[in-house]
Amino acid sequence: MSAAHEHADRSDEFLEQAFREALLAAGVLTQQSVDERVEFMYSRNPALGARVVARAWVDPGFKTRLLADGSAAVRELGIEVGALKLVVVENTAEAHNVIVCTLCSCYPRMLLGLPPEWYKSAPYRSRVVAQPREVLAEFGTHISNDRAVRVHDSTADMRYLVLPMRPEGTEGLTEAELQTLVTRDGMIGTVKL
Amino acid sequence: MDHHDLGGSPNTTPISQAQHPLMPWELRVDALLLCLSDPARPGGALMTVDELRRGIESLPADAYATWGYYSRWLHSMLSILAEKGVIDRDAIERRARELADAHEREHA
Amino acid sequence: MSARFSPGDAVRVAERESAGHVRTPRYIRGKRGTVERVCGRFGNPEELAYGRAGAAVTLYRVRFAQSDVWPHYRGAARDTIDVELYEHWLEKA
Repeated sequence: MSAAHEHADRSDEFLEQAFREALLAAGVLTQQSVDERVEFMYSRNPALGARVVARAWVDPGFKTRLLADGSAAVRELGIEVGALKLVVVENTAEAHNVIVCTLCSCYPRMLLGLPPEWYKSAPYRSRVVAQPREVLAEFGTHISNDRAVRVHDSTADMRYLVLPMRPEGTEGLTEAELQTLVTRDGMIGTVKL
Repeated sequence: MDHHDLGGSPNTTPISQAQHPLMPWELRVDALLLCLSDPARPGGALMTVDELRRGIESLPADAYATWGYYSRWLHSMLSILAEKGVIDRDAIERRARELADAHEREHA
Repeated sequence: MSARFSPGDAVRVAERESAGHVRTPRYIRGKRGTVERVCGRFGNPEELAYGRAGAAVTLYRVRFAQSDVWPHYRGAARDTIDVELYEHWLEKA
């Protein structure tokens, strides 16, 4: 990070404060609404996605509904996702899925929380659409050529969740134990579980 | 103005998986945008995520490439709300400089 | 107003220059794909970005063979890319 960039970040801290003070003074929003929103953001995290994935692994009916209408199925688990329009794409023996937003950083925030920095970065957004297998290799993920790699560019109103394949040898695990196997990057598609 | 349209752009920078914890001000910028763009906000949404994106895309190319993620959000929100007459951007920037100067004096 | 395209339809993305805020990436313009699903009707971001409500537009997920999108694609023949595209950017192919 350049010195000029660090300076910009420091001055933006004061700019945010001045901006927020102006909005509060104008009655445009309340401190409480901002605090509540920050609290809410902390409540959204990959553990919620892991619950969805684990349920899909153990309940074939849920999985079918999840693939047909992601948001409706997620709500069945008591997870309120607001206006999120979730499309769930399933990893299979035939295909491995990976998600990107090349134009900005669209991500299923209402379910998974804030995206990782690499997801928002210029190299990821530039390369994963054109060279997905090379990008996956940067994450240590290798997909054999007899499996298709399907990239999903989140350009509009849909948000995406990859349903990873259930790891081998997990038949004896409880649903709660299965949840612990599911990672954020598995649900973005850059890693296999 | 297309510097955001990155799909397929030549870029040989390795993808770093380093993750820095967000500063509180960055989280607040995110929260501010969610509050302002919430259709259920009393009086309705003051701006949309689409306007935020347009504001970010309108930043000069070097700012887009080098500024931090939430710095771009903050500057976009200031532009959009100033455009709508909701805020006095000059007053906010003056106040920000006051805060910066006060901080400098305290820590000199 | 009903959707102009259905799943399975062959479509081509318009090869158009654009001014202002659009959500059709340059890399997909002019390319031919297949409608994967109709996503529904949404506000047009090209209008919303300027504070205008505009008319609702139909959004589709369109699937493209990667080898049709990138001239020197080095992955597998069956690799695909799915992009969400608004109806006014699509033509029958």
